[in-house]
Amino acid sequence: MNDADIARLRTEFQQELARVSSESDLQSLRDKYLGRKSGAVTALMKSVASAPPDLKPVLGKLANELKQELEAQLTDRKTSLESTKAPVGAVDITLPGRAPLIGHRHPLTIVREEIEAIFTRMGYQVLEGPEIEDDYHNFEALNMPAEHPARDMQDTLYLDGEVPGEGRPATLLRTHTSPMQIRYMESHKPPVRIIVPGKVYRRDDLDLTHTPMFQQVEGLVVGETITLADLKGTLTTFLHELFENRTKVLFRPSFFPYTEPSVEAFIGCVFCDGKGCPVCKRTGWLEILGSGMVHPSVFEAVGYDSERYTGFAFGVGIERVALLKYGVEDIRLFYENDLRFLEQFPL
Amino acid sequence: MKILTSWLREFVDVTAPPEEVGHLLSMRGFELASIEPATVTPRSTMADGRSTIDDGRSTMDDVVLDFEITANRPDALSVQGLAREAATAYSLPLRQPAQGAGPLSLKALPQKDAAGVKVTLEAPDLCPRYAAAVVDVTIAPSPAWLASRLQAAGVRPINNVVDVTNYVLLEIGQPMHAFDLAKLAGSELRIRRAKKGETIKTLDGNDRALQPDMLVIADGDTAQAVAGVMGGGRSEVSATTKTVVLESACFNPKSVRLTSKRLGLKTEASSRFERGTDIGAPITGIERAVALLEEIGAGRARDGVVDRYPAPLQPRPLALRRARIARVLGQAVPDADIERILSGLGFTIAPSPEGWSVSSPTFRVDVSREVDLIEEIGRHYSYDRLPSTFPALDARPGPPDPRIARDRLVRRVLLAAGLSEALTFTFIDAAMAAHFADAAAIVPIGNPLSAQFSVLRPSLLPGLLAAAAHNRHRERPDVRLFEVGAGVTRSGESRRAGFVWVGDAGGGHWSGARRNVDFFDAKGMVERIGEALQTPVTFSAESLPGYLVRGRAATVASATRRVGSVGMLSPAIVTAAGLAANEDVYVAELDLDAIDAERRPQHLKAIALPRYPSIARDISIVVDESLPAETVRGTIRSAAPETLVSAREFDRYQGKGVPGGRVSLSLRLTFRSAERTLTDAEVDAAMKTILSALQTAHDAVQR
Repeated sequence: MNDADIARLRTEFQQELARVSSESDLQSLRDKYLGRKSGAVTALMKSVASAPPDLKPVLGKLANELKQELEAQLTDRKTSLESTKAPVGAVDITLPGRAPLIGHRHPLTIVREEIEAIFTRMGYQVLEGPEIEDDYHNFEALNMPAEHPARDMQDTLYLDGEVPGEGRPATLLRTHTSPMQIRYMESHKPPVRIIVPGKVYRRDDLDLTHTPMFQQVEGLVVGETITLADLKGTLTTFLHELFENRTKVLFRPSFFPYTEPSVEAFIGCVFCDGKGCPVCKRTGWLEILGSGMVHPSVFEAVGYDSERYTGFAFGVGIERVALLKYGVEDIRLFYENDLRFLEQFPL
Repeated sequence: MKILTSWLREFVDVTAPPEEVGHLLSMRGFELASIEPATVTPRSTMADGRSTIDDGRSTMDDVVLDFEITANRPDALSVQGLAREAATAYSLPLRQPAQGAGPLSLKALPQKDAAGVKVTLEAPDLCPRYAAAVVDVTIAPSPAWLASRLQAAGVRPINNVVDVTNYVLLEIGQPMHAFDLAKLAGSELRIRRAKKGETIKTLDGNDRALQPDMLVIADGDTAQAVAGVMGGGRSEVSATTKTVVLESACFNPKSVRLTSKRLGLKTEASSRFERGTDIGAPITGIERAVALLEEIGAGRARDGVVDRYPAPLQPRPLALRRARIARVLGQAVPDADIERILSGLGFTIAPSPEGWSVSSPTFRVDVSREVDLIEEIGRHYSYDRLPSTFPALDARPGPPDPRIARDRLVRRVLLAAGLSEALTFTFIDAAMAAHFADAAAIVPIGNPLSAQFSVLRPSLLPGLLAAAAHNRHRERPDVRLFEVGAGVTRSGESRRAGFVWVGDAGGGHWSGARRNVDFFDAKGMVERIGEALQTPVTFSAESLPGYLVRGRAATVASATRRVGSVGMLSPAIVTAAGLAANEDVYVAELDLDAIDAERRPQHLKAIALPRYPSIARDISIVVDESLPAETVRGTIRSAAPETLVSAREFDRYQGKGVPGGRVSLSLRLTFRSAERTLTDAEVDAAMKTILSALQTAHDAVQR
C-alpha cells in the first residue's frame, strides 16, 4: 500500500461516479468504496495500521483525505440526482394561465378620454349636450340663417318628416357639437372655457372616409382678452400633447359661418413625416381641426357684448384623430365592432 | 375652380412656378386640390384686337391648378378673383382683362334700350340688376385657343356664342346667358315670377314644373329661362341663330338657391348666384362678352346696353380700428401692411382718427363688418407670423357634466368584467326597432339615407345584436359587448348602458369544461352596475319587455322606478338579428338617467370593523321547486333575531335523493352581535326557530 494505490483508487472512483445514473447505483458505489465491511477505502484505512511506523502518519492523512473527498463527492452527486426528480404536486408551468376576463375600450373612447384629459389639465370644463337639436341652435344662432349656402357643408338628417329648408322650426340630429356653444352661452356669463365631446350626424353614405354618425369635441373660450394668438398657442399645445411634441403645426385661413377669422389647423403628415405621400396628397400636411375667432353675430345671438368679449372656438373630429393616430385605413371599422379590431387597443 | 396658369398670367405677372403659386394661395385660404399638366393652344391677338387665325396646330404646355373655394368667396370662383389674391400675395399689380382694343361697338354708347329687345324688370326683389345687349352673330365653332381654355377648365365647348358666355363666367365670375332673339315672342324679356302651373323645358331637355315663387326670364308668352339656374330649350342658341340677346344679371342668392334645390338642378351659374355675385359686374360682363365676340369674329353688337338697376347699391364704409386688429389677432400689424393688403384686394381705404374708413368692392359680398376686414389682414399678413400664447385663466373652471364621470364608471365596471366596448349607430332599421318599442314611441328620420338607418334607436340592443352577429359569423366563440349611449323615444333622449353576451361564459380554459352564458351571468353584471352606481336594484318577473323570454328574464328596478331589464333574448329576435336560431343570447339594458334620478349623493363614511366574531351555520332544506329563493330568504329574515347579518344561498340541487318537483336549497346564515360574542346555544335556538318557520311557511324538510 502506497501513494500510487491511493491515486489509483481515486481515479477509479471518479470514473465509476461519472457512470452513476440512479440513487441505487450511487448506493452500490458508496458500499464499494466506503462500506463498513468490504469498502475499498475502509480496507485502505485498516491497512494503514500495518504500515511501517515512519509512513503511518503520512498514509493515514492521505487515506483520511481520500475518504472525506469521496464522501463529499457522493453527497454532491446525491443532491444533483435528487434535483432531477419531479417534485411532489408539480404542474406544467408552460400551460396557459387562467386570465381573468377583461374587455377593451373602444379606440374612439380612448381618443376622446385623452382629449378630455388634455383640456382638463388646461382648466377646461367638460360638458355634454343633446344629440337631437333644433334648427335655431344648430344653424341659425351660429350665423347660418335659412338658405345660407354654408348649410350645404353639413347635409342634415331631419326628424319627423320635416321638410328641410322651408324655414319652419325643425328638429334634427345635430350636425356638429357647436350648438352647445349657444346653449352654454345662453345660460352662462363669460368667462367661458369649455369642451363638449359628443356624437354628430350627417346625411353621408358609409364609405372609406365617411360615416353618417361620428364624434367631435367642441371647444369654446370667451373672455375680454382672447385673441387668435391664444387660439394658436392652445391648439398647438393640444396637438403636441395628442400626437408628438415634435409634430409640426400649421394654421391656415378657412371658412366657417360662426367664426371670423376662421382657421384650419394642420399637422405634419404622420405617415410620411411631412415628406409627401398619397395620404397627405403630397403636401406633407394633414388637416386636423377647424377653428376660429367666435363670430360677433354668434355673441349677439346669445346676448354677449361683441365689442367687450372675444373668443375662440374649435371642433376636432375624434375619428379623424383615431385614423391618424392608429393608422386605420377604413373609418367603417370603428362602427363594425369586430372584436379582432377592438382587441388591438390597450385595455 | 380650375385655373390655367397662362390665363392667370394675363392678369398678374407671377413668375413663380405653379406649385409655389398653388401653395401660397392655399396659405391664403384657397386649398389646392390638385395640380395637373395641360396642353393648350396659345392665344395671340392682332393689334386691332382680333384674334390671329389659328388652326389649332400650335400647342403649348400649361398647368391647371384646381382650387377649392369656400362658400363665402364667390368672387374667387374666377380667374380674375384668384389673380387678385395672387397679386396681393406677391405685391404685384392686377391687370384688367386682356381684351385687345376693347369692345368695338359698345364703347361710349349711351345707356339706352338696345335695338331690337324690350326688357321689363317686374321683380326687382329677386333681381336687383339686369343688363342685356343685342348682338348679330355668325354661329361657328370657337377658335382653338378659346376652346382649349374652356376644356382645361372642365367646360365643354359648344359654339362661339355659348363659349364666350362660359369664358366670361370663368374669367370674371359673371354668369351670362344668350337667347336667340328670333325665338322670343314679342322680342321682349320679362323678369317675373313664374305663373301657377307654368312649365319650362330646360336646356338639358327636362320638363320642369315651376312654382310661383321662382323667378323666370320670360318672353311675351312663356318662361324662357329659370333665372340664374338654366336657360330654356326654346330660345336656345342654335346653328341658325342670327341675333342673340346677351343676359348679364345679378339675382337674389336665396331665391336662386331655393329654386335650384327644388328643381334639383345645380349649374355653374346657380352655384355662383346662390353665394352672391358682384352687383357691379353685369355691365362689365356684357362689355367683356361683346369684346370677345368681336375679337373672335363671332359677331357685332348693336347699339346700346340695357341696364335695369332700380336701386343702386350705396357704398357703406366700415370703420377699421387699429386697436381692434390687435385685440382680435393678438398682435399689431404695421399700417403699411394693412394698407397694402386691403388696397391690393380691391378695398378703398381712407385714414380716420382710430384707423381707417374702408369701402368694400362690390364683388366682396362676404365683407360686412369690421372683423371681416381683420380676417383679410390676418389672412394675407399670414397666421404664421402671429405669436402663440395662452388665454389668461381668470376664473375657476366649473365642474364637469356629472354624466361623464358616471358613464366612465359604468364603462370601467363592464370592461373589468370582461365586456368590450362597442359603438353602434343611433339610427337603425325600422323593422328591428319595432321589436324593442311601441310604434308610437319610435322617432323616425324624415329624410333617411336608407331603410337600414330609418329610425332613431329606442334601445341600444339592436345595434349590439348586429355587432354580436358580425363577430359570431367570424367564428368568435364568445362575444361580450357593451355600449353606453343615447336611446331615443318620443319622450326624449336618455343615456343607456346595454350589453349582449353570447357563447362561452368565460374565456375558455384547458382546465375546465366550457359553459354557456346563462341568466345569472347577465344578472350578476347588472347587480354589479347597480353597486357601482350606489343604487341597489331588484329583479322581478313583472312587466317584462316582449323581446325577452319569460322565466329567464327579469325587470330591473331601483327603489321607486323601473330602470331596465335583463335576460334571454326571444328566439324570434335572435334569428331576426342574424344569429343562429339555437344560440342562447343574453342581453340587458339599463336607463342610466333613470338610475341617476334615484341616486342620493351620499357622503361616504367608513363603518368600523366588527369587534366580535361571527358564527356561521349552514342549512339545507327541501322545498317546492317553484318557491323563489327570495321568499325563502324573507322567511328566514323575519324568523331570525337581529343578529342574523347575512343569508346567502350556496347550493341548489335537484336529482338523486330529492323528490320530483322539489328542490334542495342550501344557505349559509351568519350571525353576529355588535355588543358581545354570541354563544352557540343562542345561535342553535335561532336556527331552530328559523327551521320551524320554514316548515310552517313552505312545508320545508331539513336534509
